[in-house]
Order: sequence, then C-alpha cells, then structure tokens
Amino acid sequence: MRSTLRAAATLGLLLLLVAAARADGDAARGEARFQDCAACHKLEAGSNNVGPSLHGLFERKAGALADFRYSPAMKRSGISWTPETLDKFITDPQAMVPANRMPYAGMANASDRADLIAYLQKSSR
Amino acid sequence: MTTKLKEVDVVIVGLGWTGGILAKELTEAGLKVVALERGAERSSANDYSLPNIRDELRYVVRHDLMQNTARDTITVRNNPSQDALPMRRLGSFLPGEVVGGSGVHWSGHTWRWTDMEFKIRSNYEERYGKNFIPDDMTIQDWGISYDELEPYYEKFEYTAAVSGKAGNIKGQIQPGGNPFEAPRAREYALPPLTPILASQMFSDAARNAGYHPFPRPSANASQAYTNPDGSKFGACQYCGYCQRFGCEANAKGSPHMTVIPIAMRNPNFELRTHSWVTKVLKDSDGKRVTGVSYTNVLNGEEFEQPANIVLLCAYAINNVHLMLLSGIGAPYDPVAQKGVIGKNYCYQTGAAARLFFEGKYFNPFMSAGGSNATIDDFNINWAFDRAPHNFVGAYNVAGGFNTALPIGYRPVPSGTPQWGSEWKKATAKWYQTAMVINASGSVMANRYNCYDLDPTYRNAFGQPLMRMTFDYKANEHKMGTHAAHVINDIAKSMNPTKLTPAVARTNPWTVVPYQSTHNTGGTIMGTNPRDSALNKYLQSWDAHNLFVVGANVFPHNASYNPTGPVGALAYWTADAIKNRYVKNPGPLVPA
Repeated sequence: MRSTLRAAATLGLLLLLVAAARADGDAARGEARFQDCAACHKLEAGSNNVGPSLHGLFERKAGALADFRYSPAMKRSGISWTPETLDKFITDPQAMVPANRMPYAGMANASDRADLIAYLQKSSR
Repeated sequence: MTTKLKEVDVVIVGLGWTGGILAKELTEAGLKVVALERGAERSSANDYSLPNIRDELRYVVRHDLMQNTARDTITVRNNPSQDALPMRRLGSFLPGEVVGGSGVHWSGHTWRWTDMEFKIRSNYEERYGKNFIPDDMTIQDWGISYDELEPYYEKFEYTAAVSGKAGNIKGQIQPGGNPFEAPRAREYALPPLTPILASQMFSDAARNAGYHPFPRPSANASQAYTNPDGSKFGACQYCGYCQRFGCEANAKGSPHMTVIPIAMRNPNFELRTHSWVTKVLKDSDGKRVTGVSYTNVLNGEEFEQPANIVLLCAYAINNVHLMLLSGIGAPYDPVAQKGVIGKNYCYQTGAAARLFFEGKYFNPFMSAGGSNATIDDFNINWAFDRAPHNFVGAYNVAGGFNTALPIGYRPVPSGTPQWGSEWKKATAKWYQTAMVINASGSVMANRYNCYDLDPTYRNAFGQPLMRMTFDYKANEHKMGTHAAHVINDIAKSMNPTKLTPAVARTNPWTVVPYQSTHNTGGTIMGTNPRDSALNKYLQSWDAHNLFVVGANVFPHNASYNPTGPVGALAYWTADAIKNRYVKNPGPLVPA
C-alpha cells in the first residue's frame, strides 16, 4: 500500500514536472520545431499528405479522420489527443503505439516538445 | 491518325530531375511548358508511404519504378565484331520510368565533378605528354569549367537537401571534409549523416593508412529541412529502403517532392503522363526542330506537339536514342571515327571486398542511401601520380553500405554453398557481421564504345532498338587492379575474421548483374561541332532550339555518381535559355 502511494506520488511529481515544462512551451519556438513534421503533415483542414492533417488534432481521437489511411495500430490505440498524450507519443512514437507507420524516431528534448505542442495548440484550431 | 496540337513555348521530354528543374525554372520565367512523361504520376502520400513502399519483390525484383523492357530495351554487345542481343530484363542499370524518373529511386550520392574531368585531355597531356593517352582513348575537354558550374552545383545541392561536410571553402581546407575537393562558396545545405559502424571502422583504418576519409555527401536530409524553394523535407530515418524505392519520410531529395510540384502549381505548366515520344521533328531547312511526335501508351492515340524549344530530358540512353531515331546530327561511326551522335558511351568500373567480423553487429537493416565514408586519395587528388601505374582516370574507395535489404542481402564468406542447409546456417551466422569496402572507378571514352541503331531488333513502336557496344579496356583493367590492391590492404589492416578480397574486373562486361545506373555519353558536349553534339549550354550544334540534358552530355565517365553535374547542368542550361536564348534565339556559341 505504502509503495503504491509512493509510486503514485512519484508519478504525480513526474506529471507535474512534465506539465511544468509544457506550461513553459513557447509557440514561436515551436513553429521552428514543427519543421520536423512539416514534410508530411499540414495544418489546414482536409489536407492529408504522407501523414494526416493536424487540423483539430486536440478535438479528436487517434485514427479518427475518415479520409486518411491509418495503420491498424493507430486505429486500435484508443488515444484521445491531449497535450499530455501527444507529448508521450512524440517522445518515442513506436514505444507508445508499436507498429504505427509514422517514419519518425521521436523528439528527445522535453522543452522542444513543449514548444511544439504549444505551437500545435495554437495553430491546429 | 495524328492529332496536331497547339504550339507551346517549350516541350520537355521526360520529367525527372533535369526535366523537373527546367520545367520549374522556365515556367517561372513565363514560358508555356508541356512535359511529356512515359511513366505514371506517383506521389509520396499515395505511393511511397508505409507500409507498401517496403516491398522488395515489387520494387527490386519486379522493378516497379523502372523502364519496362517488354516495350523498349537496348541490344548489347562487347565489340563491333559481335551480333548484339536484346536485354530482355533489366540488370546492370535501372532507368526510371515514372514522374520523377530515376530521381525517385536513386540513393542520393551528390558529387561535384571538377576541372580534373572538364579539362581531362589538357591535364594529362600537360603533365604526362601526348603519348600517355592511348590512341583509341577518345577523351576530350568538356568546354566548361568548375568555376562556371560552382553556383549551379550549390543550387542543386540546396534544392536536394544534400548533407555533407565541406572540405574546402573558398580555398580554406576544412577539417573533417574532403581535402581534395574543389573550393566551394559555403557549407553543404545540411550537416553530414550520422555514421554507421561500418563507415566508422573504414574511416579509422583509412586514416591509419594515411588516407583522408570523409562522410559521403548525399541528398538524404540529415535533419528536417526547408529548401530555398520552400519544399519541405523530413529527417532521414535510416530505414534502409533508399536505393530503388521512393522515400517514405520525404527525406531523400527527389524531383517529385521539390521542383515538379512547384511547376505543377504554375498555370504555365502542363504534364501529360503515359506519353511516349517517338521522334523529334525537324524543320524543312534542318536548322531548327519544330516539336515532337508522341503516342499515348494507354490508348495508342498519336499526337504532334509543336514547340518553339525542345528539351530532351529523358534517361541518358533514351535521349541519345531519340537523337538517332530523329536523324539529328551525324551518327557516329567507330570505324571511320566520323559523326558524333552515339560517340563516347561510357560506364563505370569497380572492385569490392567483403569483410566478416565475428562478434560485430553492423545492423545492416539500418542505413541511409549515403551511409558511406569515402577516400578520394586516388580520385580527384592530382598529386597521385598515374605514371607508374600507366592509367588515365581515377577511383574513390568507400566503406559502409547503403541499402541492405532483408531478403536479398545475404552476405556469406566465399566457399559457402549457394543453397541448402549449409547456406542457411551461414547466412544466419554472418548476416550481422559483414561490411563492404568498394571502389567506384571511372571509364575513359574509347572509340569502339558507342551507341547506334540496331539493324535487327525493334521496339513496340516498330522503331529500331538502341544498340550499345561496350567493354572495359586495358586502361580500366589496370586501374581496377590498382584499386583492388588499395582495398585489400585497407581490409587486411582491419583484421577481419574472414575476407573475400577485391578483384579487378577484367572479364568482358556483361549486362546481367546490377552494377550502377551511371550510363554516360552519346550526345556529348564540347567546344566544336566536329567532336561533339552539343555546345557548353547543352544546345545542339545542328538545331539551335534543341537542348539535350542529362549524363548523355558527359564526354567521359568519372568515378563519382553523375547526379551532381546532371542537376547543376540543368540549372546552368535553364539560365542560358531564360537569360540569353529567349531574348535572342540562335546558337549560344558560334560553331
């Protein structure tokens, strides 16, 4: 019981740290980070490319666009896109959704991810 | 029945790198351009994306992005005393047939050829005397200089996201780059790719032997990138599916995701796919061309497309074929040594050693198209004295691998049975442990290596096939022997568990195993119409409104991959047309 509590506390602290980094996210810097994504993803509604359009990303579940051919892994994932789930996903996409088809190894730096997510929150609407 | 279409400013035959560059540049200059491409239109999003692109059977064995030999092919022989036979299946080289051309399935190696090539005859005669060059070696100066091309090399490298390390910026030697390269104005577009274990081990061994290893410059984006035209690149993921595939990460510089979409957005541009050009049409006075004839291969309809300017931008072999089929310029005769069209066909040679290291894990499934380290100590290093070895030309040596596919890549030591349980055991044991050191060598022009029209065999349109006459000569044998020694010395110094040593290619050339898609010459550029088909702007000496662009313009073949100068010359020709020819149509160089 105690160890569960401790684990929960640690997890809470971790989430807090992640959340703290995320709150610091700078959308202007994030626009430059978006270069990692821009060869395959567009922000305009309905403009799928190699990857699906990111318009309205934070209002939908993974694999939800009817006109994009997702991997079975992504469709099954059940993820609702939030800043938290997206942060986890782009840290190491294959770790969170094994066998997804996005050819991207991940963004290791937490503050880069925070900047990117801040940018996406602003520009995917 | 042939439908005659409305005249346009420019018709482009073939839409790969050169056609794409010219289409973008000339439509931006306000010209109305129509491009005719034999193949289909394909895109990264629909065709080159995961998981379908990783299909070794479809793309490697069945050549899905390549020319269909059932419709048109070449005939092949080693010398004029033989009867040539048709190549019924692609082998030694793989011309692309798709929007984007061979620029879709290339590996991305992008080099700058220097004055060592452009002034080859002058250089060798000056240093070694006229007698050093054999009588049958028809090498000649190109009529262009490195300094003229330098800005155009840079333009191509920045367009295609070439990743590398400069070795010489404005005369200052840069640590970590190629110290022998000609001066460049600035760094590469992107830093070099992350080295793989095999390239690192080769670099260490080469350095210990006193050579100068550097990372190979490649159009594989080492990080996300937006090129000067606004085309977006993802970062290379080292997926191992580069050569013969379209890039799943939009990381390989290719015309279908750079110059071609820009042209497509321009209202001055029109693309017609599945359009097979059968002939370039000449004016009655023979001084100009008036357009092209083509067939829609989907329904057999025939068209004539009149144009003010005709640009041949097909694969190198097909450009020469069209010139011969159209009767433009005098066909080359190797016996009389007269005529120019078909002259100086060249290829490349090479040698390779395979090294096996028990206990090493090379992870061959992970690499970029250009994951090699290279040495140019025997290449563009003019201090390397050829006299004691008695050959003209050069070779580069590289360690690593580019595309090592899960099914086809089965390295086993020599002496292993080629099938059965012993082979299975060996392939499991050695798969992770192998790397290659290989040399890519130049081929000097020879009077007997050439193209002409085949007297016997015809293509699906009833036209004579192109006949290729080619073999390696004593010069290439000597160079290959030298290269094999250098490779084997480096390999032995690395103490591999097993070594399959490099051997020079001295048997007659054969079209069967894959070697390289680096076919050059046939409509060569030069300083005068007696020795060449085109002037330095790739403009025909015979018809001033015809330009022929591609590796077919190279008067000989260097050790480097050809795409660097192919791309640079396309930009160079675009500038000559935009800035000079359109304002004052006529020969850009007096004959």
